Amino acid sequence: MSDWWTYTPADFLMFSPRVYFRLVERYNQDFWPLQLVFVAGMLAIMVLASKQVRFAKVVLLPAFAVAWAFSAWQFLWLRFAPITWGATYAAMAFFLQTALLLLLSWRASHDILAVSRWRRYGGMALALFGLLLHPFLGLLAARSLAAAEAFGMMPDPTAITTLGVLLAMRGRHLWLLLPIPLLWCAFSGLILTGMEDLGAVVPIASIFFVAVLLLTSRRSRTHSSEEQ
Amino acid sequence: MRSTRRCVLQGFALSASLPLIGRPARAQFAGVTRRAIPSSGEEIPVIGLGTWITFNVGDDPVLQDECAAVMAAFFEGGGRMIDSSPMYGSSQPTIGYGLQKLKYPDRLFSAEKVWISDPASGAEQIEASRAYWGVKRFDLMQVHNLVSWEEHLPMLFDMKAKAQLRYVGITTSEGRRHREIERVMSSEPIDFVQLTYNILDREAEERILPLAQEKGIAVIVNRPFRQGSLIRQVDDEPLPEWIAETGARNWAQFLLKFIVSHPAVTCAIPATTRVDHMRENLEAGGGILPDEAMRRRMVDYVEAL
Repeated sequence: MSDWWTYTPADFLMFSPRVYFRLVERYNQDFWPLQLVFVAGMLAIMVLASKQVRFAKVVLLPAFAVAWAFSAWQFLWLRFAPITWGATYAAMAFFLQTALLLLLSWRASHDILAVSRWRRYGGMALALFGLLLHPFLGLLAARSLAAAEAFGMMPDPTAITTLGVLLAMRGRHLWLLLPIPLLWCAFSGLILTGMEDLGAVVPIASIFFVAVLLLTSRRSRTHSSEEQ
Repeated sequence: MRSTRRCVLQGFALSASLPLIGRPARAQFAGVTRRAIPSSGEEIPVIGLGTWITFNVGDDPVLQDECAAVMAAFFEGGGRMIDSSPMYGSSQPTIGYGLQKLKYPDRLFSAEKVWISDPASGAEQIEASRAYWGVKRFDLMQVHNLVSWEEHLPMLFDMKAKAQLRYVGITTSEGRRHREIERVMSSEPIDFVQLTYNILDREAEERILPLAQEKGIAVIVNRPFRQGSLIRQVDDEPLPEWIAETGARNWAQFLLKFIVSHPAVTCAIPATTRVDHMRENLEAGGGILPDEAMRRRMVDYVEAL
């Protein structure tokens, strides 16, 4: 495609914002109140895991795997793919992330390494944002709560919450779980930019937030090892 | 006088609702100008219906019914050509839903595209599209954005020879690959070419539109409003009073009249989700079409805004 530079995000947008938000509304109606189960359940697991409750640490990554699989299957594959062909590939990436989460959960609870305080608190803040605040972002654009995007149901809050938890719990192989949520955030940012939706700021800012925390945490690790 | 699309529509809707002057929509738009397809002489109205984005509504029953209502207004107003593509998400099943609801109007001129890089899968994709529409065959099949056109065109010519479709074409949009389009127009016996042409995107006037006239190729114009951005750009500006003599009463009609008044243009395919806009678009195809002097004046006016 020699003329690729002539394309803009809007050229790849195949549907109108009205179609998209009606789709989310109808999806939420189909599954209500599963949204509450996902959010409350994951919040409980995260809180208990942070208090070192063994059972919560064991089920943390499998619980994320359930959320990724559900949003991939019910939203991306069954509902979003018919109106945007790129969603099929996104769903496959989400299923791959599900498999990675399950694979790495095998050793994750034994594999946790210490992280800097900044990174831990930053990651927890991002996770809580994805879990508790993200569903209400639509209100800023005067959209109904019926079109709220909840963790486990929709890709954006699922990816953002996952990124937050991964930042807070550095493990030896957990970096393998970062690329797909980061790529999704980039893709989502492009879609929302094409829709001229201010919500595009959220996934894009999440990428930068993760990058900053990773870089600062790496620098502080290097610094502390030099001091030793 | 400031005349926006919205306020004109309000007036239009109000007048349409008056019972004393109420009459069938068919009669209101019977005057849509027709142009002949050069390769056959068959005439089609200069206003068609595009489906990019607007008909991609998934399985939402409310939105499917809205699209069917747009199609009903289109056919009642004298429209014929509906254009779609496998690239347009769920637009094809939405068209099929509308056609079934309208009991497959005889006047339909179905324009589809083949959009797949694997040449061996072209026939299969066309058959899938036909099943979505629910028609016996397509009137026009175009190679979308020149994807694998060297392989697809022979297949389409073969299908035309077997009366499995009536016309063959190629498409591009937004001014891309015009040199290649010219090459195909010069070397292949195609019936249609589809491209972007509007009052601000006029590159096609230089070579492609004259070539289409010379070779006897019908021209379909996509993105007449630059996906709506052109209307948003001018909607707050005053409509020139001198355009009133053509019958244009708002910017959408101004822009459409500019396009279909080019003698090489056979049909423009604006897309909409609204019945009132559909009627308004069809109305732009009637009345007086601008002559060359007025077309120049229209360009000067818009470029000066």
